[in-house]
Order: sequence, then structure tokens, then C-alpha cells
Amino acid sequence: MNFEHCIRCTICVENCPVLLVNPDFPGPKQAGPDAQRFRSDREKSFDEWVLLCSQCKRCVISCPCGVEPAEIILKAQQIYGQGHPRSAAHLLFANNYYLSALGSLLAPVANWFAASEIGKKILRSLGIATYIPFPKFRFRTLRNEKKSRTKGIKKVAFFYGCYTNFYRPDIGRKIIRLLSSFNIDVVLPRQWCCGLPALGNGNLTLARSFAQKNAASLSNYIDAGYDIVYSCTSCGQAILHDYPNILKIPQAKKIAENTYNVHEYIVKLMDEGYIKPQFQEVRRKLAYHIPCHLRALGIGYPAAKLMSLIPALECDILDDACCGLSGSYGFKKSNEHTAMQIGNRAVAHIKKTGAEAIVSDCGSCRMQLGGLSGLMTLDPAEVLSEALGITEIMDRK
Amino acid sequence: MSVTEYDVIIIGAGVAGLTAGALLASRGFQVALVTAGEPTACLSTGCIDVCSGNHNPLAGIKELPDAHPFHLVPEKTITESLDNFLKAMQEMGIPYTGTLAENRLVLSALGTFKTSCLVPSTMKAAPQDTRDSIHIISFAGLKDFYPGYIISRRPNTEFSVYDAGVASTMGIAAHFEEEDCLERFISWLKGQNVSADRIAFPAVLGLESADKIVKMLALRIGKPVFEIPTIPPSMPGRRLFNALKDYFRKKGGTIYWGWPVSGVEKSGKIIEGVTTASKGRPNSLNGKSFILATGSFVGGGLVAGRETITENIFHLPVHVPGARETWFENDYFSFSHGIGRAGIIVDSSLRPDGSPLENIFVCGGILADTEILKNGCGHGLAIATGQRAAESCMECLR
Repeated sequence: MNFEHCIRCTICVENCPVLLVNPDFPGPKQAGPDAQRFRSDREKSFDEWVLLCSQCKRCVISCPCGVEPAEIILKAQQIYGQGHPRSAAHLLFANNYYLSALGSLLAPVANWFAASEIGKKILRSLGIATYIPFPKFRFRTLRNEKKSRTKGIKKVAFFYGCYTNFYRPDIGRKIIRLLSSFNIDVVLPRQWCCGLPALGNGNLTLARSFAQKNAASLSNYIDAGYDIVYSCTSCGQAILHDYPNILKIPQAKKIAENTYNVHEYIVKLMDEGYIKPQFQEVRRKLAYHIPCHLRALGIGYPAAKLMSLIPALECDILDDACCGLSGSYGFKKSNEHTAMQIGNRAVAHIKKTGAEAIVSDCGSCRMQLGGLSGLMTLDPAEVLSEALGITEIMDRK
Repeated sequence: MSVTEYDVIIIGAGVAGLTAGALLASRGFQVALVTAGEPTACLSTGCIDVCSGNHNPLAGIKELPDAHPFHLVPEKTITESLDNFLKAMQEMGIPYTGTLAENRLVLSALGTFKTSCLVPSTMKAAPQDTRDSIHIISFAGLKDFYPGYIISRRPNTEFSVYDAGVASTMGIAAHFEEEDCLERFISWLKGQNVSADRIAFPAVLGLESADKIVKMLALRIGKPVFEIPTIPPSMPGRRLFNALKDYFRKKGGTIYWGWPVSGVEKSGKIIEGVTTASKGRPNSLNGKSFILATGSFVGGGLVAGRETITENIFHLPVHVPGARETWFENDYFSFSHGIGRAGIIVDSSLRPDGSPLENIFVCGGILADTEILKNGCGHGLAIATGQRAAESCMECLR
């Protein structure tokens, strides 16, 4: 919808986590549709405050008129980025994929560096926040996994994304085992960063180049009869929304039609009668923090649906608060204060439930909420795996 | 084993839809609520108007024109539904004050009185006449509230300005949720040596803890404290929506956000499912029975074209009050614009008249002949018809 459909009702303003804690940000209505009427493609952009938007997309989902303030702001961020030099942090995070690949290759050294005082000092001098520990690189990434091929009921290509690959390949392996337990063939297609960090840090060219490479790879799998499954909700947001609408990737429509959130896919196979999972009791009290980008995908909360079928499991669904990290947003020193305050609000909601652990689909939500609360964090796939007797949840922080 | 097949699918997350949903979910039905965005209830004052034209709202309902949808709801259902509402809000920590036997007054941001029935506890201490003196606390930089409007209309009114360091309604409300900020404010307020009988605030006293904050302020200052509803962003409206939504989920309901319904699957006279054009593929949800609670024009339930008014999900027949020339009065501020009567005409079970569809029920602002502005019956009607629609659904599913 065009910005002119905005009726200025301020419902988006009420949903903006940044506005709530940072008075410098005028909110999605002013930064989005209100300011848009004064922006021209041919003029240099001066509204620096568009960079304060964390792209959580809560404004988009709340708008009753179908206006997409975050979308308008994202485009304004790109235009602002073209006319102004980017900070070191922006440049680094745009190239997150290459840095992470390097970090994994040098995992022991890189992890020591990021955790050391001197390392933190250097990171801070580059404008990178260190209020929560940097995630640990893993040497044995998911892409090195051997492919298993059986004659299953379905064939899926798993887009696991950078976070799972470089930092939590163990969760990636659990998702593969989970899908395999339903007799689904899982392959790991050749893949690059989804492009979201590059887009969010103002490097449209790099974002498009990642997207084109992914699109070519995924498109081949679709032609060969595979469904695409993703686990990271922000990768999902990029593939399903940004590829067709912002990056204008030619195969985007075909890919979007065949791409599923991993839990959405399981629900779909249950609905179609292909699988009948038998969940066993899980005696735990969990708080499910819904990632903003899952909310923005508009597919409901499929993992919540599945967890609701697990006997004895108590799971509160929390979707009112953003975690504040928003990928690389909170890792910038300039956003540190905002990200922490938003995160602390989310943690307060979680603590109120008395949950023993936090569940979230999104790696960056888990990093932030685990770091700020000290609670154990889990991927929904870990909970499902325990309920299906595939793997047990290790009681780790 | 289908996990996305529901007993009831409700379209619209406003007061009517959430009321219907909570009742159905609490009776053990599988309920999904789908919504395109957040409802206009967020923009409201949070007050539950039942029928503002009469000192006694229940008596007022009896005097409404014959076509008014309130007449389709038995009096017992009306009282029961509002009773349920009061209990639910108490449970969710935003208690309401008031009874169906008597309307009460809320001081508006213009210094006039608004008549309502059930009001948030934070507005309980609002004066019911012009005798008491009032001290208004205003906030530096807050654009959406001018105490001058009230002072020009009310004798014995004064004000002082507090600088919270933030200037937006949301920012100030979040500020009051922080204990140290609240303490700093209280010591400032004590220093003001207020002599007036009551202390008034624009409705910014907290995001979710307003009831506690107002009670605490009153106790510490030793004077009645109350909130004045403001223009959007309206905190009392947001608190109402959040409480209704959380209550619905607590009872077991599922909400699908970002779900503008774009298609309906039918088999003869029976609706089987609704679809939405999401990113990627169309999503679909199947249900046995449906409730339409999409509101009127602002909510998006009704769409006005040049000559006609349509309902664009089920394409139900819409009652259009005469030719376009009669839709609007010359006086912009009139309460009797003809368009206020537009909407869906229903039978006593709230099934749409003139439609072959059998398993759909309609409630809330989308109903015809409500004239909500004129009759002062918005949220009250939504609650009563929401409960009625839920009951009809249960009969239909039996």
C-alpha cells in the first residue's frame, strides 16, 4: 500500500519498541508515511534518524490500513546510505557473512579475541557494542555436514542461514534430525547469507548479489521437486518479502511459493495427513518469545501450535515485546542503550511468567534475551525433538 | 489429524471479536482469530459506552429506534456480557468501574464531560460536576494535551508542568512504569503544594500498570487522582485492547496477526475456510463456523465507494441508507450523519439477512443502524453482540 493510505491513527506508534525508549526517534508514522511526502528520489536525504529504526516490522503488522511504515523507512535508509559515508560498524555488519566465515575458520582465535578485554576494547572502538557476549564461532559448521539421502515422503532443501551455520550448527543438526524423523529427505543446498544484514546496513549491491546467488541455487532445487525450508525467521523474511519487493529478484515469486518455515512445514504435513507425530510428555515451563520477523511473516505461530500438542508442557506465548537486538542493530554502540532498554522490557515480561527457559526461533533474539536474563534459551526444534524422543534438552545456560 | 481446523474462525480483533472469542474459547471450542491489523479500539478512550442518551443505560436501550441491533440481544445477555467484561478486566489487572443502572461522567481533554457506562478505574475519581477544584499536571513537550482547553471551561482549575525528559505519550507512559522515575515525580509533585480537591493527568500514567500507579499516587499525595483520556495514541484504548487480547489467549484462543482475509472457500451455503494472500503462497484456515467482526469504515469492515457501500470479505448485502446525497449532513459535527446507519442487517441470531450463507454471524460496529456517535453505544454494543454471536455459534456447532 502507498503511504497515502495512512490515516494517521498512530497504532504503529503504539507498537514501536524504539520510540518507547529513545526520544530521538520520531516513530514509524513520522519517519515513514509522514516524512515520505517530503522525500524526493532526486534529492539528497538529510533525515539521519531513519537509521534509528531497527526494522522489527511491528508497525507493518499492526497497521489496520495495510501501510508498511518499516518498508518506507527501509527505502529511506538506503537513500540516506547512498549519500552519506557509513560507519565502520555498518561496513563490518554488512559483510557479516564473510567475517563469520573467517571467524569459523579461525574459531579458537576469534572466540578468544571476542571474549578478551583487549578484543572488546577494539570492538568498541569500531563502534560495536559488547554488553552481551558475542556468539561463539564453531569450526565445524553445518555446511560441512554429510548429506543423508533416503527415499522419504518429501524432499526438502534446508536454508539454515548464517547464525545456525557459524554459531549454532548443533541446532541445525537437530532440525535435520527432526525432519528426518518424519521420513523427509533433507539436503543442504549451496547457500550464502540471505542478504538481510547487508540490506539493513545500507549495502544494497551486496544484498542483491547474495540474493541472486541464493535464488539461483534454491530455484534449481525447486525445479528438481524440492520444497525449501528455513529455520531463521529473518532469513525467511528476506527470502519471502525482500527478494520480491525490495531486491526485485526475478525468481523470487517462484521461490516464495515453495518456501516454508520449518514448523509451518511440519504443520502442513500433519494437516495433509502425511505425518502423525506422537509427542511425549515434556515437564517444563517455558516462555516462547515470538521473533518480530516471525510475526511479520503473517503465517501465525506454527511452532506454538506444535508445542501446544505436547502433553504437560507449559508454554506462555509472548509477542508484545521486541528483544531489541534486531540482528546487528543492537550490536552497534550507537544503538546499545536503546537495544538494552527494549531487551530489558522483554525480559521483564518473560520473568513475570516464571519460566525456566526462553524459547525463540531467532538466534539473535535468543542471544539478547539469554544474555540479559541469564536464562537458558532454546530453539523450538529442540523442544519438539525432546518431545519426540530424538534428542534431550541439555540443561545449559 | 488436522491442526489448523478450528471450530470457530473470527475475523477482526476489536472488542466484539475478542469478546466472542474469549467466551467460545473458555467453553472449550477451538477458536482462531484473524486480523489485518490492530483494531480501532486502540484509538478509543477505553470507556465502555452502552447507551449514553439516558441517565440509565438499560432504560436508554429500550428507547432506541426499533431497527437498532441492541434490540436483537436479550436484556439478560446484555447484562451478562458486561458482567463478564468487568470480571475479565479485573482478572487482567485493568479493573473497570460502573454499573448498567447508571451512567457516569468522564472529564474530557476539552474540559467537557463525556457520558459513559463502564470506565477504567483510572478515571473513577473524575468529578461528576463542576464544583470541585482541579489541579492538572501537564507534561513539557507533550503535543497532544493542552490544559488550557479545560481551564477555559472550568472554574477553579489550575495546572503545572512536569518535565519527564521525554515528550511522547508512549515515552511518558513508559517513564511511569520505572520505579525511580515514579519516585522522582512524586517528590516533585509533593513540592507543588497542590491545594485543589483533585489531581488530573492526561492518560499517560503507565503502559500496563496504570491502575496501580493511580492508586499509589492517590495514596502518597492524599488526594483523588484521575486520568483524562487523550487523542491517539490513547493509552486507555491500548490497555483495553491488550487486556482483551491477552484474556482471549489465556482462555486458549489463537491469534493470526497480519492476516488480511482475501478469499473465502465455500461449499453451497456453508463457509469452509478463509484465505489470505500472504508473502509466498496463500495461507488458509478451515473452520466450522465464522464470526465477522471487522468494524465499520475506519476499522475496514465497510468500504464506501462513490454510490455504494460494500463488505468485501463475504460480500454480504450491506444496508445503504439512501442515495449518496443523504449520507452526510451539512454540519460536519452532526451526530446524525446518514452513513452512521450503514452496515449489515441481521436476524435475531445475528445471521446476515438476505444472504444464503448459514454458518456466519455478525457483531460489533459493522452492524446496520447502530448510529454509534448519536447513541453513544460503541464498545457496549460490541460486547453484547459479541457475546450473542458466540452463543449463536455454539448453537450452530451443536
